[in-house]
Amino acid sequence: MVKIALVSCGTEYSGIQKEIEKAANKFGAEIILPEIDLDYIDEAYEKFGFSAQSSSLKLMIARAMAIVEGKSKPDAVFIATCFRCAEAALVRNEVRRFIQNNTRIPVVTYSFTERTKADELFIRMEALATTVTRRSILAREKQEGLTLGLDSGSTTTKAVLMENNNVIGTGWTSTKDIIESAKTAAAEAFGQTDYDWDDLDGIGTTGYGRFTMGQEFGAELIQEELSVNAKGAVYLADRQKGEATVLDIGGMDNKVITVNNGIPDNFTMGGICAGASGRFLDMTSRRLDVDITELGPLAVQGDWRRAMLNSYCIVFGIQDLVTTLAAGGSKADVAAAACHSVSEQVYEQQLQEIDIREPLIQVGGTSLISGLVEAVSETLGGIEVIVPEYSQHIGAVGAALLVSGMGHRQDNK
Amino acid sequence: MSENLCPKVNMSSEDWDPDVITRMIILGPGARVSESEIVGEFHMLGLPLTIKNTCYGSMISGKKDDVLKAIEEIRKLDPPHIFTKERGFAPGDPRRCRGHRFGPREGFHQMEKEYTILGYVAEALENPKDVTVEKKKPVKVDDFKEIMNECLENK
Amino acid sequence: MVKVAIYPPNSLILADLIERKGHTPLVLQKQIRQKIKDPEIDSPPMNITEEDPIKGLKYAAIEVPSGVRGRMSIIGPLIDEAEAAIIVDGAPFGFGCIGCARTNELSIFLLRNRDIPVLEITYPTNQDETYVMVNEINNFIDSLEEKSEEE
Repeated sequence: MVKIALVSCGTEYSGIQKEIEKAANKFGAEIILPEIDLDYIDEAYEKFGFSAQSSSLKLMIARAMAIVEGKSKPDAVFIATCFRCAEAALVRNEVRRFIQNNTRIPVVTYSFTERTKADELFIRMEALATTVTRRSILAREKQEGLTLGLDSGSTTTKAVLMENNNVIGTGWTSTKDIIESAKTAAAEAFGQTDYDWDDLDGIGTTGYGRFTMGQEFGAELIQEELSVNAKGAVYLADRQKGEATVLDIGGMDNKVITVNNGIPDNFTMGGICAGASGRFLDMTSRRLDVDITELGPLAVQGDWRRAMLNSYCIVFGIQDLVTTLAAGGSKADVAAAACHSVSEQVYEQQLQEIDIREPLIQVGGTSLISGLVEAVSETLGGIEVIVPEYSQHIGAVGAALLVSGMGHRQDNK
Repeated sequence: MSENLCPKVNMSSEDWDPDVITRMIILGPGARVSESEIVGEFHMLGLPLTIKNTCYGSMISGKKDDVLKAIEEIRKLDPPHIFTKERGFAPGDPRRCRGHRFGPREGFHQMEKEYTILGYVAEALENPKDVTVEKKKPVKVDDFKEIMNECLENK
Repeated sequence: MVKVAIYPPNSLILADLIERKGHTPLVLQKQIRQKIKDPEIDSPPMNITEEDPIKGLKYAAIEVPSGVRGRMSIIGPLIDEAEAAIIVDGAPFGFGCIGCARTNELSIFLLRNRDIPVLEITYPTNQDETYVMVNEINNFIDSLEEKSEEE
């Protein structure tokens, strides 16, 4: 059984301890507490050097120290503190860095509320448990052979064919029936090459429909999107070592993943407001009567400050943009204002929950809207934003990369 | 190991009884009785109690009235050196027992720390006397300046 | 008999000194016991559920972290019940319920605001200071006795 050490200042007191343990158990892991004694707490705390007022944070530091010094030998570490607690957020990040810099033990962090979302907890535990059991797979930095990656998302299905570390075919379709959509996307990818299903060495699946697709196609790798997207992003951006943040502003929901040496250690997922999604930009381009592909370059020419936009809301915000146009405002300024609005809203809703690490790798369909990428960089104080090639196919690229070396379909023939 | 998260913790009906309480009996340094004498005395009282010997003293569990009565009696053995504390979890409760959890329960560290001055507390209880302790104040700015200059000159 | 709230609420020494004088220390462990002995609640190890941080809203606003509100749902009722209080400053660190500095700050403030007799002392670092602490606590408890006799 995978042993996950809980490094926290008191998950019990938020009433979520049971949820954490349940999530760990679901993925074949169990929660343990690093064994330490009183003298060691004082010693570890002084050695670490962070003067925390809350004694539970001292205990948390000591537990982290026990892991780093090998007194406790867990397979993985789950670091959790209360959402909105400044003191704990500082310690959480420093403890995370400390463990990552001094051990090879995978870490996942989380800031929780009493309304902790089961989905977010499950995907973290799954990522943590699979990181332990599939460490060798996640360590893969080069794609070999001929592999197919399938990413079945809630709105679109993507397929990517890779051969000898190159993308040779891509497919994209809106998700209807999971299997049919996957076949359509794959056919598009195969169409750009001379290969067919029978030529493949292996298939990797990810996204919401990963289990259904995996079963149908006999996939060698079925993996949650957190690890796959993180891996795909750092691979394409050539940032497999060191730290990075992966941002995916989707059509319906947004994901932010922080990565250390190619392995995800935290993420947030949101999707309560259409104003903070690609949908807002889709609506804007329709109002402006331009194709979505033209919105980005248009926005880059404009200045968001010249357009009135008093609301992030997809209803009232778009209304403001129409008013600006009616008053003689330029399309470019309106496009820029729309991009700025989405990026600010993503910042307010999600990016604040996570410690952003440079570079930021922007992926997903919206990463192709240059005005949005520019707005994201500006919102975050001008940090480096990388949009790698094939960024819209990130999950499928990650799956194709990770499954290479696992599939031996041609050997059996 | 999974006891700590199983839906129903396997405990006896007594463990679930809200009228059943648990007390830790802690012997301060210099106590004139030993842990085993305390446990022996508890048994001699003939009250319906669960009695356990521990590294710091003992732990008893039972109906509230019986427990309080037993404590009143046991304190008589060595009033200044016998201390008692409530415990929320029953002895060996799998939800908090370190045997299942690896790490010790949090309250244990607190007790370890308080134990370090228990000897002084016992002394103060046994031989009460008035003591005044001068409160430390920050050094005056002029004094600070003087000392600083002195240090610089001597350098 | 006076119900005396103590801070730290799980202190061995404070609870013991109060009980020796025949009063009732309001200790945390009793609150915990109530929770963990309730077979209706099924959330080991502490049986705190997501309802508790919501109950804690009585003491702290929604913007306050859930861990503070969850702890307040346990400590708060003790404060409400108190007829006197002894607060020890600089006590050696406690963990668990009292491991959160923000919770402790709020609890101590609420105790000071209760319009009940409050004794504030510093945790001793040597023998003389321990004498001072024990004497002050004993005098305080005696003064409570006088008051309750007057009433």
